[in-house]
Amino acid sequence: MLHDELGADGFAVIGVALDDSVDDVRPWTDGITFPVLIDPQHTLTETYAISNVPTVVWIDEDDHIVRPNGVAFGTDTFKEFTGVESEPHKDAVRRWVRTGEVPIDAESARSAVGDLSDDEVLARLHFRIAAQARRDGRDDVAQRHFARAGELAPFDWTIRRAALPLTGDDPFGQTFFDMYGEWQAAGSPYHGLAGTDAV
Amino acid sequence: MSYRRVRAVASRAVSATTQATIIGDVDVREAEAIVEDGKLLVAPSALSAALGWTLEAQGLCRGDVCVPVRDPSALFSNGRVDLEAVAHALGRLAVVDADAGVMAMSADPATRRQALGLSAPAFTLDDLDGSPHSLDEWRGRKKLLFAFASW
Repeated sequence: MLHDELGADGFAVIGVALDDSVDDVRPWTDGITFPVLIDPQHTLTETYAISNVPTVVWIDEDDHIVRPNGVAFGTDTFKEFTGVESEPHKDAVRRWVRTGEVPIDAESARSAVGDLSDDEVLARLHFRIAAQARRDGRDDVAQRHFARAGELAPFDWTIRRAALPLTGDDPFGQTFFDMYGEWQAAGSPYHGLAGTDAV
Repeated sequence: MSYRRVRAVASRAVSATTQATIIGDVDVREAEAIVEDGKLLVAPSALSAALGWTLEAQGLCRGDVCVPVRDPSALFSNGRVDLEAVAHALGRLAVVDADAGVMAMSADPATRRQALGLSAPAFTLDDLDGSPHSLDEWRGRKKLLFAFASW
């Protein structure tokens, strides 16, 4: 794990789970040694313009973002599906930590993410209202605000896929695969460095 | 039922008092509010409890931050403060479902512009044991912010 391998070089991984409850996260943190925080309100999807997971951001010693939002995996578990290999990104992280080499220039980094539209921000607000209503046992309020959030940001996974387990649907089931097809047909939109561009 | 239809239903209702849930950019609050004409209104003295901001002579203030307000009278409706108008005066987006007594307000868009300008916005989130952690705990280290989820 990079967090352990590069810890002595002054490096850390900070995990942030975009999940509704600690119980949802725990099954995924077995054997993980880096700190894991939980963001049930999806605050980081708004302030960092994150539209899918996993998303990684490289942040230097002075809290400058040297490589913005990108898709990267810790393992090759989903390689066949996503087409993204884990090892090139990990090698790039090693080079950055040990030599300071950054794989993207600042100008490209500044244009890579793209601001959220008002609709994408409003979708996050509807999602928060829905998730809060669900916690409060108000399922009718939750359902209509999850639905509105999905209408406003149809290609944002932190909205539509995140809503699946909260509305009784399976995030790895047919609804997800239908969404995946719609997302691909729309050009696989993502706020950041996507796919093979990510390293 | 769509969100817009709910607003239309609420607009025909007479005013009613409700315990409203207000999801802000840093916390979730409960406050007594009046639902009227599709709006969530609070007494001026309750604005601070409802939203965390107060209306002062210099504008809307929270902590040592103040945002000037061009037309403070536009924040009021029948002597009460309209929470959505306050959000807009702060330059925020808001979603109000008055019928359900719920509102959510966005973060300051300047925070995201800061990230797009490659300066990492500060954040504070709980770990799985409920202890809060802030980005600046890792100041002086290179770090990989890794957003993931179970879904």
